[in-house]
Amino acid sequence: MLVSGGIAFTLMARVGLIDPKHVIALRSIPEIHSIHETADGIWIGAHATHRAVSESQIVQTLHPVISAAFGAIGTIRIRAQGTIGGNLAYADPAQDPPPALTVSSATVHIVGPSGRRRDVPIERFFLDYYTADIEPDEIIIGLSVPAPTQPTVSTYRRFNPRTVDDFPTVSVAAAARLQPGTGTVEDIKIALGGVGPTPLRARSVEEAFVGIVPTFDAIETVSALVADDIAPFDDARGSASFKHAIAVVWVGRALRDLTAIQSS
Amino acid sequence: MTSQHRILATPDVRVEGRTKVTGAALFAADFPHLGVLEVAYFRSPIAHASIRAVDASAALRMPGVHTILTGTDVAGHRIGRRLQDWPVLADDRVRMIGDRIAAVAADTLEQARAAAARIDFDYEELNPVFDIDEALESDAPILHPLSETYRFLGGERPNRAHGNIQGERSITHGAVDSGFAAAFRVFDHTFEMPKSLAGPLEPRTSMAWIEDERIRVISTNKSPFRLRDEMAVSLDLDPEEIVIINGYIGGDFGAKGLSIDEHVLALMTRAAGRPVRLVSSWADDASTSNCRHGGRIRLRTAVDADGQFLAHEAWVTLDGGAYAAAKPNADLLPAKASTTLGGYRVPAARVHARSVYTNTVPGGNARSPGQPQTSFAAESHVDMIARDMGIDPLELRQRNVLRDGDIDVTGHRWEHSMLPVVLEKLRAELAHRPAAAGLGRGIALTTRGSASGSATVRIRITADATIEILTGVPDQGAGAYTMLQRVVAEALDIDVESVFVHGGSTDDAPYDRGVGGSRVTPIVGGAALVGARRVKARLEELSPGMTTDDQIALAASQGGFEFDAEFNHPSGAHTSGAIAVDLAVDRQTGAITLSDIVLIADIGGVVNPVAVQGQLLGGIANGIGTALMEELVVEQGNVTNPNMSDYKMPTVCDVPDVHLIIVSDDPGAGPFGAKSVGELSNSPVAPAVANAVEHLTGVRVLSLPITAEKVLNGISGSSREVGVVGSGA
Repeated sequence: MLVSGGIAFTLMARVGLIDPKHVIALRSIPEIHSIHETADGIWIGAHATHRAVSESQIVQTLHPVISAAFGAIGTIRIRAQGTIGGNLAYADPAQDPPPALTVSSATVHIVGPSGRRRDVPIERFFLDYYTADIEPDEIIIGLSVPAPTQPTVSTYRRFNPRTVDDFPTVSVAAAARLQPGTGTVEDIKIALGGVGPTPLRARSVEEAFVGIVPTFDAIETVSALVADDIAPFDDARGSASFKHAIAVVWVGRALRDLTAIQSS
Repeated sequence: MTSQHRILATPDVRVEGRTKVTGAALFAADFPHLGVLEVAYFRSPIAHASIRAVDASAALRMPGVHTILTGTDVAGHRIGRRLQDWPVLADDRVRMIGDRIAAVAADTLEQARAAAARIDFDYEELNPVFDIDEALESDAPILHPLSETYRFLGGERPNRAHGNIQGERSITHGAVDSGFAAAFRVFDHTFEMPKSLAGPLEPRTSMAWIEDERIRVISTNKSPFRLRDEMAVSLDLDPEEIVIINGYIGGDFGAKGLSIDEHVLALMTRAAGRPVRLVSSWADDASTSNCRHGGRIRLRTAVDADGQFLAHEAWVTLDGGAYAAAKPNADLLPAKASTTLGGYRVPAARVHARSVYTNTVPGGNARSPGQPQTSFAAESHVDMIARDMGIDPLELRQRNVLRDGDIDVTGHRWEHSMLPVVLEKLRAELAHRPAAAGLGRGIALTTRGSASGSATVRIRITADATIEILTGVPDQGAGAYTMLQRVVAEALDIDVESVFVHGGSTDDAPYDRGVGGSRVTPIVGGAALVGARRVKARLEELSPGMTTDDQIALAASQGGFEFDAEFNHPSGAHTSGAIAVDLAVDRQTGAITLSDIVLIADIGGVVNPVAVQGQLLGGIANGIGTALMEELVVEQGNVTNPNMSDYKMPTVCDVPDVHLIIVSDDPGAGPFGAKSVGELSNSPVAPAVANAVEHLTGVRVLSLPITAEKVLNGISGSSREVGVVGSGA
């Protein structure tokens, strides 16, 4: 088994979900560490740690929502050890990065044993609980994230009422383009974690929100539509109905973050 | 603390600090041992079954395997701190998922585990009991039908009303019925709490081998002598045939008084002829050893028109799980399980507490055993009475608080009470700290008996002119050895660097009951003080008028001397505390954000300011866990969250600002006036949080933990009270 930071690997090995005969660390492949600016955006090497992603100047400049999501993971020890590649391959739907990478239109770059390269848009990468579009003999080499072509506002919010280092019960990332002056929503992407088998887009909310001038009441109305987009289940962090309620509130707050409309 | 206490006033350096932070300290799992075999268990996949056969023949042929023990090999040997009801390995039946059926010793842990997985287990399923009400039905399956044959240490096991009752305690005092008849109002509330964990970082670990025909054991048990004596009974040995070696313990919080592996290792090392070791996992400890009892508490209190308590009734039913072995008390209940209105004058009371067998993880001791449960119920109940009667909650507490000469809920008369003082100090402090806008404030009162009993340490002047203390008490992380060093240095007025503290084995140290009930500072510390004062007296006899350092040097040049010093701590002392919690509630999500905590702590003299602060703050962090998040989830007997990702405990980031106000006006009988500290501050946090939530939102959460979901259900639902599904006594 190929291992990057080893966080997910350790969690799964401890509960007996995996028991590999051999473990190969990817740490010594220098090509997959770097984070740098490219002609049309950012390249994030698969072995970049959560902390490196969070603290990267170029990530903070072009996609602050990605920086925020990686900065929210677990504790500083986890962020110093865990990597973006390992996190994505783990495909846990409650992880922080996927919603932010989704609204930033990231692409996952994968290489197989023969050198065959596949590029998978992040939204097609997650297939089911702990299942991603990657084979055992493939590795993620990195992600590319296009730079926004026009000014974009974004936000990341996580709901973790127990401890700061807990996995979020529900998380929301959103990125929008607003018409200067009028504030009309020209484009928006909203993605949620923790509310289904994979990170999910809030397409009903997005469709209802585009083309309108946001108001407090409009946000109340459209955020309720997220109920149609999600499929949460009962677990230690709450019942499905609780997560439904939280998702509505959290989408509303994310939209208010983007539009700077505070509660009345 | 007065200024003449030169040593006590100086912040400490932990005697073991350097060793621990450099990684040099050997914990039980670190001890190197040539030729040690690793042991793994084959565990029950089902909650309740009678065992037809266990076939280890295939496992025995697996690579690296030396010895396999099954219940048949160890039949009749049972574990228990008081009632020995837990088979060393299951013999006739299994009573919980994870119950140990066979133990495999192999060259490597992987080999032991692989072999354990190949053991065949033929069984007949029995009806399981997962619920305390089901367990007490007249036709409920009885988990321990042969319990009359079990050993009960130190006396006779009392009779019980039902075969599934582990233990009962009934308290009646005063004229209860006439108190209720005279009542202006009667309040009746029921509360629930889940099983939760003591949760030390270090899992149970033990190693056993035979040397000079005696069984040697390295263990994470915090009471080596009691483990030795209990093992001797379990294994039909003389205590002198067992030596428990005292090492570092990586946290306790109440769980490490129970040992469940040492017994089978002792039998295994004999059978295998090799040293054997078992390093448990956090998950196995969480799901198959001992946890804090969950249960249900119903309180009924009669009050007069001023809110004064006239009479009180309580029914406490705790889920004791599959075995009572973890409980040391003779009535097989946590000590504070019947203190259902602690801290208040209760002229008449009838309290019935019981622990019940179910096919789930056993209940045991966890920080201030029984009190987080009863305190949550009582301090919520008192607040509910106050709000219902339109009386300020602090005022109602002050009207009912125990004063000198009053009788408490257990029928005990208080001689001098600090409880009115801590409430008065809380009132004064809160007057200076009005809750910020938008915050709710909740308070709670708490009290504990300070530890009592005796202890002995050996004190010695060595040939190189140092003072040595030899103790049988381990340091489970709370700083016992630093405390002993400071007590002796202060008493002799010498530098702490001249005092060395050694934890001895059961072979070389004087008998000690070990860590528990916050006894180490008041009692073992008291023995060290007695010893230091006798040393001083002896030195004065030998060389009057010289400085202590010179006296010690002279005594050392003459070969030094040693003696055992004993201290007998009187009973009847109390510690008291009052807490206020300010918090915010997100009304759209129910999420609670703690803002500030004030704690008034009557703890007597302070031997070690840093450690006292650590205990009180640590207790509050522990209490925040109980209040907001800790729940061991057991579904059909299966623990579903035995890991730190899903079973969350607060981190340092989750603890708000805490203002500690230490009250030292009432010195205890411990060294320099010290009283017990370690179990004072955790219990009152949860009820104070519940009270603050009701103050702010009108929602009363009747069960622990107080999750965002419960609060949100209360805010958006029709019922003001949320969180209890069952009912009745």
